[in-house]
Amino acid sequence: MKTRHFPLNRKPSDRSCGSTEHTLHRRLFLQGAMAAGVASTGSFSGLFSVPALADVAKKSGKKCILLWLCGAPSQFETWDPKPGTETGGPFQAIETNLPGVKISSLMPQCATIMDKLAVIRSMKTEPGEHFQGIDVLTRGDQPRPPFTRPILGSVIAQQLGQLDSPVPQFVLLDPCPEGNEFKQFKAGNWAGWLGAEYGPIRAGGNYSIPNINRLDEISQVDHADREALRKFLSSKFENDQRSEAAASHNAAFNRVNGLMSCAPLFDLKQLPEKDRQRYGGGAFAQHALQARHLIENGSTFVMVANGMPWDNHVFQHEMHQMLVPELDNVLYQLVSDLEDRGMLQDTLVIAMGEFGRTPWLNEARGRDHYPKAWSLAMAGGGIRGGVVHGATDPLGFEVVEGQVDNRNLFATIFEALGVDPHQEYDLPGLPTFYRVEEDAQPIREILV
Amino acid sequence: MKGFNNLAKPQLNHGCLCLMALLLFLSNDLSLMAAESGTNGERPAETVAEKVQVVTEKINDQLALGYREQQVEPAGACDDHVFVRRLFLDLVGRIPTQEELSGFLQGGSDSKGKRLRLIDQLLQTEEHFIHWADLFDTLLMGRAADEKYTQRRQHQWRAFLENSIRVNQPWNEFVEEILLARPVEETRRGGNWFLYERNNDYQQIAEAVAPAVFGIRIECAQCHDHMLVDEIKQSHYWGLVAFFNRGKNEYGKAGPQIKESAIGGFSEFADLLGDSSPNLLTFLEVDAVAEQRPGKDKKQVDADELYESGTLENGPRVPTFSRREKFVHEVVKGHPRVARALVNRVWALLMGRGIVHPYDEMDSMHEPSHPELLDWLSQDFRENGYNVRRLVRAIVSSDAYQLASRRPEGVDDPATFAYYLERSLTAEQLARSSQIALLGINHRDAGLNAAFRQQFPDLLPNEQIANVKESLFLSNSQKIHDLLASSKEPAQLIPRLEKMTTDHQRVNVLFEVMFARKPDPDELLMVASFLSKRGATAAALRQVAWSMLTSAEFRYNH
Repeated sequence: MKTRHFPLNRKPSDRSCGSTEHTLHRRLFLQGAMAAGVASTGSFSGLFSVPALADVAKKSGKKCILLWLCGAPSQFETWDPKPGTETGGPFQAIETNLPGVKISSLMPQCATIMDKLAVIRSMKTEPGEHFQGIDVLTRGDQPRPPFTRPILGSVIAQQLGQLDSPVPQFVLLDPCPEGNEFKQFKAGNWAGWLGAEYGPIRAGGNYSIPNINRLDEISQVDHADREALRKFLSSKFENDQRSEAAASHNAAFNRVNGLMSCAPLFDLKQLPEKDRQRYGGGAFAQHALQARHLIENGSTFVMVANGMPWDNHVFQHEMHQMLVPELDNVLYQLVSDLEDRGMLQDTLVIAMGEFGRTPWLNEARGRDHYPKAWSLAMAGGGIRGGVVHGATDPLGFEVVEGQVDNRNLFATIFEALGVDPHQEYDLPGLPTFYRVEEDAQPIREILV
Repeated sequence: MKGFNNLAKPQLNHGCLCLMALLLFLSNDLSLMAAESGTNGERPAETVAEKVQVVTEKINDQLALGYREQQVEPAGACDDHVFVRRLFLDLVGRIPTQEELSGFLQGGSDSKGKRLRLIDQLLQTEEHFIHWADLFDTLLMGRAADEKYTQRRQHQWRAFLENSIRVNQPWNEFVEEILLARPVEETRRGGNWFLYERNNDYQQIAEAVAPAVFGIRIECAQCHDHMLVDEIKQSHYWGLVAFFNRGKNEYGKAGPQIKESAIGGFSEFADLLGDSSPNLLTFLEVDAVAEQRPGKDKKQVDADELYESGTLENGPRVPTFSRREKFVHEVVKGHPRVARALVNRVWALLMGRGIVHPYDEMDSMHEPSHPELLDWLSQDFRENGYNVRRLVRAIVSSDAYQLASRRPEGVDDPATFAYYLERSLTAEQLARSSQIALLGINHRDAGLNAAFRQQFPDLLPNEQIANVKESLFLSNSQKIHDLLASSKEPAQLIPRLEKMTTDHQRVNVLFEVMFARKPDPDELLMVASFLSKRGATAAALRQVAWSMLTSAEFRYNH
C-alpha cells in the first residue's frame, strides 16, 4: 500500500530551482515558435531541440550481472564436491583446468574455464529461511526496521549508472512471477533509502514492459508533437509552482522515449537464433543471454532470476541433475561471450543463492537449508580468476578456512566494481549507515 | 475494565452515542440526518456551524502560532478557482465540471461565504460518500488485485462502507463493528469482510488492526520488542494476534461470517535470546485481560455450555468468554489512540501529511509537529461523538487548507503547513477526473478505474515520486487512447471544441475544463500555435487534450 523513501543520495536537481533562467528559455522558445510561424513545414515538435539520447548510452565503466540462484543451490553438487563421503551424494568430482581443483561432475564446461572464475567455498551466513536469506544476501546486511537498505542492484545503479541514459540501469529479468518467499520479497521495497528511481525495471518472460510500444493509431509525428506540448505545459507548471512532485512527474516522462527506443532490447526474439541455441532453451538461460545484451547496450546491473527453483527439499539429486548443467552452460557461455567481446574485465558476473544445503539428506531425499558452510562463484570485473578461496571440512559441515560472511562478500563486490565499500550514507535524520557495516574487509585474495 | 497505564482515560457518554446510532439506522431519510449526527443534545443552543467554527478557529490559531514560532511566512490564500478544484478533488474525488466551476466563480463576491456553502453542499452528495469509501477502503484493506475488489463489492463490504459514511456513523462505533464482526442486523453483514478477507491469517489481522485503529505499525515487534519505540513490545504483537486467533472464517447461509471458538489459541513466543513467554491478551497501554490458561499438558475441552446463541438467526454461536469481544470492550472502547489515529489520518488525507508523519506511525519515535493541536482535536473529536464529517468540515474550512500551494521562499519544512501540500491524485480520482474532462460526466468506467488502480496504487505516500511505468501507461495504453477517442457526442469536449470558431476560444475552454483556470498569454500562444499548425481537427484536439491530461498540473492536487 505504501512505500518508504528517504530523500537522500540524490543527485542535485536543477529542475525546480525556480530561477529566472527557465522563464528566459521559455521566452526564447516562444519567439522561435512565432518565428517558425504557421506556414513552415515539419512537425510542431521540430521547434524543440531534442538531445540525441542514443549517444549517451555507452560509457566505459564497471557493470554487473547477478545470476540469482533463488531457493539456494547445493554446494556439494556444484563448487565443493565431497565424492565418496557420506555427505557427498551420488555425483563425482572432475578435474578442472586449475591443477588440483575439482568441481562437481555436473559442471564439465565450467571445469574448462576455472582459470577465469573465483570460487568461494567458505560462505558462512546467519539466516536459514528464504525471505531473511534473500534479504541479507541481496542487500548485504541484516534488516534494521524501519530503515530499508537498498538492494545491491540499486546501489550499483546509483553509483555507476547514468540516470540520463535511455536504457534502464537496473533490470530484473525474472520470467516467473511466482516463487514463494521470493515472490513476497519481490513485492517489497528494493531501492530502500535511495529512492524509487533506483529500483529495477522488471521484465522477462511474459512480463514484457507494459505499454512500451507506441499504439499503431498514434503516428510518430503525433507522438512527438503531443509530447512536446505536454512537456511545455508540464514544465511550465513545475517552474511556476516550484513543484517537486511535478519535477518527478516530468523526469519520469523524460525517460519514456528512451525506454520506448530500447523496447527491442527486451524482445528475446530479436537475439540471434545461434546465440539462443548456444545458451539453451530454458527461461533462465535465455534471460542470461538477454542480460548480456542489456549490459552490452548500456545497462549497469542486470539480475537474472527464475522464481525459486533451487529449493530442493525433495529429490534433491534428481532436481540438481537438471538444474546444475543448465547453470554450468549458462555461466560458461556468459563468461566466454564477455571475454570474446572484450567486456569481461569490466563486467562482474556473480552466481549465488541465499544459502547452501545441508550435508545430510532428509526423509524425502532432499537437502534442507544450510547457511553455515556454502559456496558461490564470480568472474570478471575486478575479480581475479583461477582462485578458490576458503575450505570446508572433509564432510562439508563447517568452514575450516577463510570464512566469509555477507559483509565480507559485499565489501568484495563493491571493491571489485570500484565502489568504496565503507562509505557512509548521507541520511539526514537517520541513524548512521555504511555501505558495508562494521568495516568488514573484502577478500583481497580474489581481487585483481 | 482494565485501566490505561500511561494515557488518561477519556470522558465519554456512551449511552447518548448508541442511541444516536440507533436513531440513524431507523431513520428513512438518512442523508438528512447525517448533517446533524454527532451534535450533542446537551448543548442545543449551538448550531452545527458554530460548533465547527470553534474547531476551525483552533486550527487557525495553532498553525499561526507555529508560523510565528518557526518564523515562517505562510503562502497567501489560494484563488477561488484553485479552491474549487481542490475541494472537489478532496471531497467528491474529481475535478469540477466547467459549469460547476463557473457557477461558483459567478456566485457572488462573498468568497468566504460561498466557500463555506460549497463545503456544506459537497459533503451531502452521494459522490462524497463514494469517494471517501474509496479512501477508507484503501486505508483499511489496502490495494489489491482486481478480483478482490469484486469480492469486496459482492460481499457488501463496499456498501457497508458507503452506508457508514452516508449516515456519518461515529468512528468508534464503526471500528467496534468491524472488529467484533457480529452484525446485529442483516444489512450490516458487510462489516464482516474486514476480518474475513484476511482469511484466518491472525498475524495479518493484527498488522492491519494496529495501523487502522491505533495509528501504529507493529510489524517490527513480531520477533522482538520494537528496537526504537519503547512502548511497542513483542508481547503486544502476539497479544493482538491472540485476541483474534480463535476466529474462523465460515461461509454461512447469509454469507461470510467469523465464528469464534471458546477454547484454544494459547501459545508461547520466543524472543531473540530464545526465552519464551505466553501470548497473554494484552495490547499497548492496556493490562492483560484476565483469562484462564490451561495447565501444562492439560487439554481444554470444548462444550456447548461455553457458548451463547449468536446475534443473527443464521449467525454463529458466540463464546461466553469471547476474546474478540474482550478486545473491543476492554482495549478499543474509549482508548485515546482510536481518536488520535483517526484525527491524524483525516488530517493527512486533507492536508497532504499527518500532524504525525508518517500518519500510521504514531509512536514515540515520531513526534507530532503540532502536539497541542493534535491533543485538542482528538479530545474534541471524542467529546463530539467521533463525528468524522464535522472534522472534515472543520479542516477544509481552515486557513491552512486554503493556502496557495507554491512553497514560499524560506519555507523548507512541509510540517509547518505553511503552504498547501501538493499530492498525486489517487487512481480513482484520476479515472473520474479524466472522464469528467473528456466526457463531461463520470461514467464510472470500471475498466478505466481498474487500469488506473494498477498504475497509481499509492494513497498518502511518504514522498511524491513518479515512476516511468506510469508515464508509459499515460503515453501508450489503449485505455487512455480509447477514452480520448470516446469523446465524440455533441455535448462532449472534442466535438464542442471542433465547433468553435477561433483557436482562442478553444484554448480557453480547454484550460477551464482541464485545469479549472484561464490560460496565461504564453500558454494561449503555445497551444494556439499547435492548433494552427495542425488544424483544429478532432485528431489534433485529442492531442492537445492528451498533453493536458498527462501533464503534472492535471495529475496533482495543488
